[in-house]
Amino acid sequence: MIGRLKLLLRGDADRVAESVSRVGFESVAQFSLIILIGAGLYGATLGLWRGPLQAFYTAIKFPLVIFLICLGNGAINGMLAQILGSELSFRQTAVAILMSFAIAAIILAGFAPLTLFVWFNAPPLESKDAILGHSIMLLTHVFIIALAGVIANRRLLGLLRKMSGSDKVARAVLFSWLAGNLFLGAQIAWNLRPFIGSPRLAIEFLRSDPLRGNFYEAVWRALRHLFF
Amino acid sequence: MNTSPTQSQAYKPAPIPGRFAFEPMPEGASPPLVIEALLKYPGRIIHELQNNWRAALPLWLLSLALLGMLAYGVVVGSFSGGTQLWIAPAKIAMGTTLSILICLPSLYIFTCLSGIDAQMRTVTGMLFAAVGLGALLLIGFAPIAWIFSQSTDSVAFMAALHIGLWAIGIMFGLRLLEGMGHLLGGSARNHLKLWSVIFIVVSLQMMTTLRPIVGTSDRFLPTEKKFFLTHWAETLRMSQQKNDR
Repeated sequence: MIGRLKLLLRGDADRVAESVSRVGFESVAQFSLIILIGAGLYGATLGLWRGPLQAFYTAIKFPLVIFLICLGNGAINGMLAQILGSELSFRQTAVAILMSFAIAAIILAGFAPLTLFVWFNAPPLESKDAILGHSIMLLTHVFIIALAGVIANRRLLGLLRKMSGSDKVARAVLFSWLAGNLFLGAQIAWNLRPFIGSPRLAIEFLRSDPLRGNFYEAVWRALRHLFF
Repeated sequence: MNTSPTQSQAYKPAPIPGRFAFEPMPEGASPPLVIEALLKYPGRIIHELQNNWRAALPLWLLSLALLGMLAYGVVVGSFSGGTQLWIAPAKIAMGTTLSILICLPSLYIFTCLSGIDAQMRTVTGMLFAAVGLGALLLIGFAPIAWIFSQSTDSVAFMAALHIGLWAIGIMFGLRLLEGMGHLLGGSARNHLKLWSVIFIVVSLQMMTTLRPIVGTSDRFLPTEKKFFLTHWAETLRMSQQKNDR
């Protein structure tokens, strides 16, 4: 397992491509376990500022978002990979995407002590600067999650280049996967909110109306309020 | 205008590397092979339709297109629920069939204008393949569309989402026609691009003619005639008014 983690982080495209080509239950189970532990651990630090219960809930929900994205986009990602000429099978596509999420989860787990340190220094929920504390936590997590995402996708691009033998095809496939995963991911995260937990709202696993409204309408409404 | 069978069989274009390799399908037409060829080796479909024509392949392609549209239609209908669960798939499948029928003659003419050496049956099969690939991609998009259809009550948002996903699917489908032009010796590509625009406009207008598909109505078909841009503008305006309230 440690060997697999090192292999993923080093981004040795030859060996990773070999392991993705020999897709088996073992690879899927290992990547899933890495996501469960890595993203779960980081998820706990994400919700800790609001309270231990929120930390527990977010530790469950954060890996859940990743698995739901993989599940929801599994078919279309496989189709796009083939249409765009990567020669990857549906199973290889699923494992490659799971692998990139596993890399992100390892990186996030590595950042967990750092986010704990930020949490330790942020104004707590009970203080008069609670809103500031919430904003600091929010921005820190957005930055770290984005960083982990960028690094994981660079590794995925290397793997796609190796497996497709073409930089153009690899970039096209990665772009299509990213667009789909971000589009669906934003909505799933919206449905499974809260993750950090608003200082003014009670701690809940899901909001009372998780399926009401969508992420993009909320962004559109916010933009309209801001500019019109 | 058509080439004779001997001419078609003798026709061998210069090989193109990659997924548009012009080569025969391994073991005739079965649904998994057709789907694999559509996604990975569209050149094989073009080869079979041009050089080894059998009725089974276009029939599989048409079935795939219609079944795919029916399946995606159920997801479209799940937004409103109730009778829309069967009305939406029926209207989408009907609209797709009518769009194919309306646009097929012009596709054949534009194919000839492009200098492509293809028979009517080849062109028909290619159109089925293009719509079939679009439908296949829509099945892939179905989980995304379903999540959104359960999370919003905005008809405008859902309609825009469905049009966006359909546009991605049909864009890949219409690329097959460009591939056909390339493989069968087409000299002027712009004709097929122009036809693609015509097909998209016809399909959009067809869905407006058969409205409502996302929302609900007391009538199966509307009595009022509307151009699709007018209909979209009205839907958007109504959605904004609802939000402002």
